[in-house]
Amino acid sequence: MSTRLRIFMTGVGGQGTLTATTLLARAALAAGLSVTSGEIHGMAQRGGVVESTLLIGCKSPKIGHGEADILLGFEPLETLRALPYLKPGGLVLSSTESLPPLSVATGKETCPSVEDIRAKVTARCGNACFLPCRTLGVQAGAVQSGNIALLGALCALNILPFGKDVVAQTIRATMKPKVAEINLKALDLGAACPA
Amino acid sequence: MAHPLLAGAPGETHLFLGNEAIVRGAIEAGIQFISCYPGTPSSEVPDTFFRLSPEASYTFEYSVNEKVALEVAGGATLAGALSLVTMKHVGVNVAADPLLTLTYVGSPGGFVLLSADDPGCHSSQNEQDNRIYARIAGLPCLEPATAQEAKDMTRSALSLSRQLGAPFLLRTTTRVNHLRGPVTLAEPTALPAPAGFQKNPSRFVPIPAFARPMHLRLLETLEKARALAEASPFNTVSGKGSVGVIASGISRAYLADALDESGLTGSVKVLDLGFTNPLPEALIASFMQGLSTLLILEELEPVLETEIRALAQKQGLTLTILGKTPGPLPRFGEYSVAMVAGALRQILGLPEPEALACSCGVDPEVPLPNRPPNLCAGCPHRATYLAVRKIFGDSAVYSSDIGCYTLGILPPLKAADFLLCMGSSISAGCGAAKAAGQTVVGFIGDSTFFHSGITGLVNAVFNRHNILVVILDNRTTAMTGHQPNPGVDKTNLGDNPVRVDIEPLVRGIGINNIRKVNPLNLKATMKAIEELKDLPGVRVLIAEEPCPLFARRAYGQKRTQVAYVAEGCGQEAIDGGTCGDCLNTLACPAFYVDGGKMAIDPLLCSGCMLCLQVCKNIKARKGDAK
Repeated sequence: MSTRLRIFMTGVGGQGTLTATTLLARAALAAGLSVTSGEIHGMAQRGGVVESTLLIGCKSPKIGHGEADILLGFEPLETLRALPYLKPGGLVLSSTESLPPLSVATGKETCPSVEDIRAKVTARCGNACFLPCRTLGVQAGAVQSGNIALLGALCALNILPFGKDVVAQTIRATMKPKVAEINLKALDLGAACPA
Repeated sequence: MAHPLLAGAPGETHLFLGNEAIVRGAIEAGIQFISCYPGTPSSEVPDTFFRLSPEASYTFEYSVNEKVALEVAGGATLAGALSLVTMKHVGVNVAADPLLTLTYVGSPGGFVLLSADDPGCHSSQNEQDNRIYARIAGLPCLEPATAQEAKDMTRSALSLSRQLGAPFLLRTTTRVNHLRGPVTLAEPTALPAPAGFQKNPSRFVPIPAFARPMHLRLLETLEKARALAEASPFNTVSGKGSVGVIASGISRAYLADALDESGLTGSVKVLDLGFTNPLPEALIASFMQGLSTLLILEELEPVLETEIRALAQKQGLTLTILGKTPGPLPRFGEYSVAMVAGALRQILGLPEPEALACSCGVDPEVPLPNRPPNLCAGCPHRATYLAVRKIFGDSAVYSSDIGCYTLGILPPLKAADFLLCMGSSISAGCGAAKAAGQTVVGFIGDSTFFHSGITGLVNAVFNRHNILVVILDNRTTAMTGHQPNPGVDKTNLGDNPVRVDIEPLVRGIGINNIRKVNPLNLKATMKAIEELKDLPGVRVLIAEEPCPLFARRAYGQKRTQVAYVAEGCGQEAIDGGTCGDCLNTLACPAFYVDGGKMAIDPLLCSGCMLCLQVCKNIKARKGDAK
């Protein structure tokens, strides 16, 4: 199959990384694409890293180092940590708003600044889009909808084999009306971000 | 609206988690009885059955451990019910005793064991390969690689098991359990109600005189299963050439992508093996004809490789067989598309592709701060550990067990010194204490206590061991997703009317030195530990307080107050060790240092108020309901 696309997603337990992954996978299926997605979340509810994948035109649910066409980071430190998965010339979309690990929050370790992270990401892929997901989520009506804003930005870049309308339809079809409304707003707010 | 897993019409396509697809496969087969003990990566299978149970016609139970689960389902199949039992790979060790005789006794109603293996130890203490159980027990085995196959193979394994009257193994790995993919539904089968147990002692009671012919019958059944494997639609040959690949499990997905990406699809001969035990020898012998080289793809142990080598030797074939012994592939961890592509290139003599391997943007000399899973804000285990640590410090050996509380291994709590398996905290702790006279504190959760802690505790009484056992009773099975256990008041579906109370149980086996506390009351907990500390023999502290995540959902518990730092300690005091007790002893995820001052995130604080008992500068204020 010629249209192969691999998206690697990463975030922190409780952020809704898996909700975003499942939503995108449902949208891909609704668009008639051959989709597989995967998730690794052993103890993620306890504040660990959550990694998930979405692959179009592949049988494997796993993405190796240097294989991802797109990296979606719902938290900037996790974006940086997952950068090895990106293939040269790949695209990165990331939140700029950090959730520091406990060791950093309590001053035991330091974490690269968002500027540092941005510089490292841009040096690697030259093709990156940063947006304040938490703020956009709050603006839409719920902090958890910030991840849908990141999907909105991805849709606006016209790189997926389906459009924002398919994602919007999937939100309407799979979420309760009240939650759907918030997420549709977040999708639009995110879509307005890429310059 | 009825869930598509139950009500989805034939021909519809849905996106399902691998574990949900297994549920649908069982429903399509006409499943009548399911038992389990939860464990990642298997848990969504029983949890989905449980969630759907009010609308469904099957019988479902969370059993107290895997051995019990397998025995319960074993009895159900003897009474004619089509039965499924689910567990994670290490659970099969617990269930191995009944398993290895159930294959002699047989399963008239049909019986499938789902073993969810975990190559790479994503959430397990080892990466054992349970395909070996298929060999030692005599179980026909199917191994899916996609969500569709997870559904189809579950259905097929259950139906074939019923047809042969022999237990089957459905073996998955984490990647398969936790992938999502499209699944096209088929019509569910309607089975007659279970016929009930039909007495026939020579068939069902394996006393030695009957066990010998039972073993012969099992061997005959396995030959019938081999004939099914030879003709199975899950075993398919494609491509051509003198280089062949035999692949099983998720490696089949990696192989398909590796061939596709290298433009090699069709130019290598491939045998996709989905029905893997008994080995379809005739199919494989014919596949090997004319090959010069054969690569075997299977994660973990060289199970197929060894069997296929033996087959080649029997057939007098001289082809080169590669895999792990020798071969380019490892005997540990997971495979990947890149690893399979590399092995193919090596065998075919193809050049390495241009720097796909990345010279990543991350500077390896500057490691990033890790984000290990941590006990949640408000977790009562943190409070218990704090109290134990305040009294014993590093002078006691902490024998740990399996659950959220194993996360207490991290500093500053450092409350896990060794661990073997479910229930080992008590028994292994007893042995450690007796060997050299050290003080041992064993920590065990409520679900793990019911699972296999009770036997260790009885043993401790009988053999007069010296141990302080701390039962961390958070009123649920938290780590695997809040499944009920015999001690709970609430389940995700409502009240539990038949609660087994831990305290009288412990008293009933002859232990008199028991204290029960709410660990969030630090002073009372420390007092109880002080009282038990120097007593001889077996002592039990029951630290009871619900998991706050579960309490919010199941008890509707609202947070009435949150902690805040009234007079923040400065960085100097924290660094100089004159203050910062809260930071240095609790490690609560709601804590942070802001501009050199200690602070508490009101959004993350659960309102447990433990920190107020540690530092007088921390106060309570009214919190928003969360």
